[in-house]
Amino acid sequence: MKGKLSESIPEPETMTHASLNVLQDRANMLSKARLFFSKRNVMEVDCPILSSTASVDAHIDLIYSESSQVYLHSSPEYGMKKLLAGGSGDIFQLSHVFRAGEFGDKHRPEFMMTEWYRCGFSYEQMIEETCAFIQLFVGALPITTLSYQEAFIKYAGLDPLHDELDVPVHDGVQTRDDILNILLSLKVEPHLGKEGLTVITHYPATQCALAKTDMVDGELVAKRFEVYYKGLELANGYDELTNSVEQRQRFIEANELRKKMGKDPLPIDDEFLDILDSVPDCSGVAVGFDRLMMLRHKTHKITDVIV
Amino acid sequence: MAYASTSDIKQGFKIKVDGQPYLVTGNEFVKPGKGQAFNRIRLKHILTGRVIEKTFKSGDKFELADVNETEMRLLYTDQDGAIFMDDKTFEQVNMPFDQIGDHRRWLKDDLVFGIIFYNGNPVSIEPPTFIELKITETSPGIRGDTASGRVMKPAILETGAEVQVPIFVNEGEIVRIDTRTGDYDSRVS
Repeated sequence: MKGKLSESIPEPETMTHASLNVLQDRANMLSKARLFFSKRNVMEVDCPILSSTASVDAHIDLIYSESSQVYLHSSPEYGMKKLLAGGSGDIFQLSHVFRAGEFGDKHRPEFMMTEWYRCGFSYEQMIEETCAFIQLFVGALPITTLSYQEAFIKYAGLDPLHDELDVPVHDGVQTRDDILNILLSLKVEPHLGKEGLTVITHYPATQCALAKTDMVDGELVAKRFEVYYKGLELANGYDELTNSVEQRQRFIEANELRKKMGKDPLPIDDEFLDILDSVPDCSGVAVGFDRLMMLRHKTHKITDVIV
Repeated sequence: MAYASTSDIKQGFKIKVDGQPYLVTGNEFVKPGKGQAFNRIRLKHILTGRVIEKTFKSGDKFELADVNETEMRLLYTDQDGAIFMDDKTFEQVNMPFDQIGDHRRWLKDDLVFGIIFYNGNPVSIEPPTFIELKITETSPGIRGDTASGRVMKPAILETGAEVQVPIFVNEGEIVRIDTRTGDYDSRVS
């Protein structure tokens, strides 16, 4: 499925006092975010938003311009990894990203992402720094860490790695991961981050995306993490996969899944795969800037903080 | 046949699910970052009024249910049901009491009701939200206790409906009732 550019153009609105407040606070938080990174010697970069190839995700649909034959990026990840491979060292990018068809209280087809990469950082160090960044916005809240498996057992009453799954979905879902994602959203997420930040670690290996996989307690899991506060998904981070053979295989599988769902497969970025083996060992994370603003302004609607 | 997808569906849409007609009362878009998008849709069955919540993949399409509401005036009731007429077309429909269900207690001649048609057939009625009816039976009113206001007693209305009214209201008076809850709203005369 390809989106049309026109979907994401908002209606002009008169500025209210509330939105002027948000605008000022956004400016304030953007400069605090930049200060956070410059104190840590993480360099700001500005990778292109347009590309002729795409990031390949089974469930992320891109906005495409037919006339220019370019995609709007859904994350600056590929561009940033090309810089890492070239020896940039630690980098961050604050930019708008685009996802077709994502309309809801917490979703817009255009939103702002904070993404950064840390060379030589372990998975644990990356989690710690991600929480520190989020605390800039929401205060020094306590942090709880649960594995994906622990969170499911605790809140959904089932073992996501071993149990048979049954969920009342009307029209057949495609995969076990789809069922897990529905259970995560309906049963688990509402409980996450009630008192402070909750970090979910060690996702099923089948939900690894661009993360390394690892054997933990005899289970193959993805070194991926997410951070939640008040049930809101804020961050998605990885111990980054730097193996181009494995990554190409994952792209092919994602495209296969897209075809099964009746979506167009996406063109694979060969240049990205060519440099992936040269990316130094690193961890990376993407944090939704608008959602942090939603929490600061105590609203459930993302449109309240997009000005 | 007309179809709508999860992204088009808003409150008030009438759709078919498992062959049954439903009114959409809510639609929430849910998407974990890397997961498949889906919609939680709240539905009210058009015939039974039962409310359910279902999960659909985003992009799923639904057949729109052929549901229409027409305003019709109650002409009279007989042993089996009620006869309504459209003031504009003079078309008449006959609704048996089992289709009218609980709303039977609001049937008053000459009042205008919403008649719900599904696939061209009348299936249920919507009474006006507020309805004014005469009290035919209740214990005598007690004066001087109007301040507390909320002391209630049972009363029977001209349509046979049993409601709770404040104790100061008398037989023969007309009261305004909220048909959504069956609660007393105010005294009319």
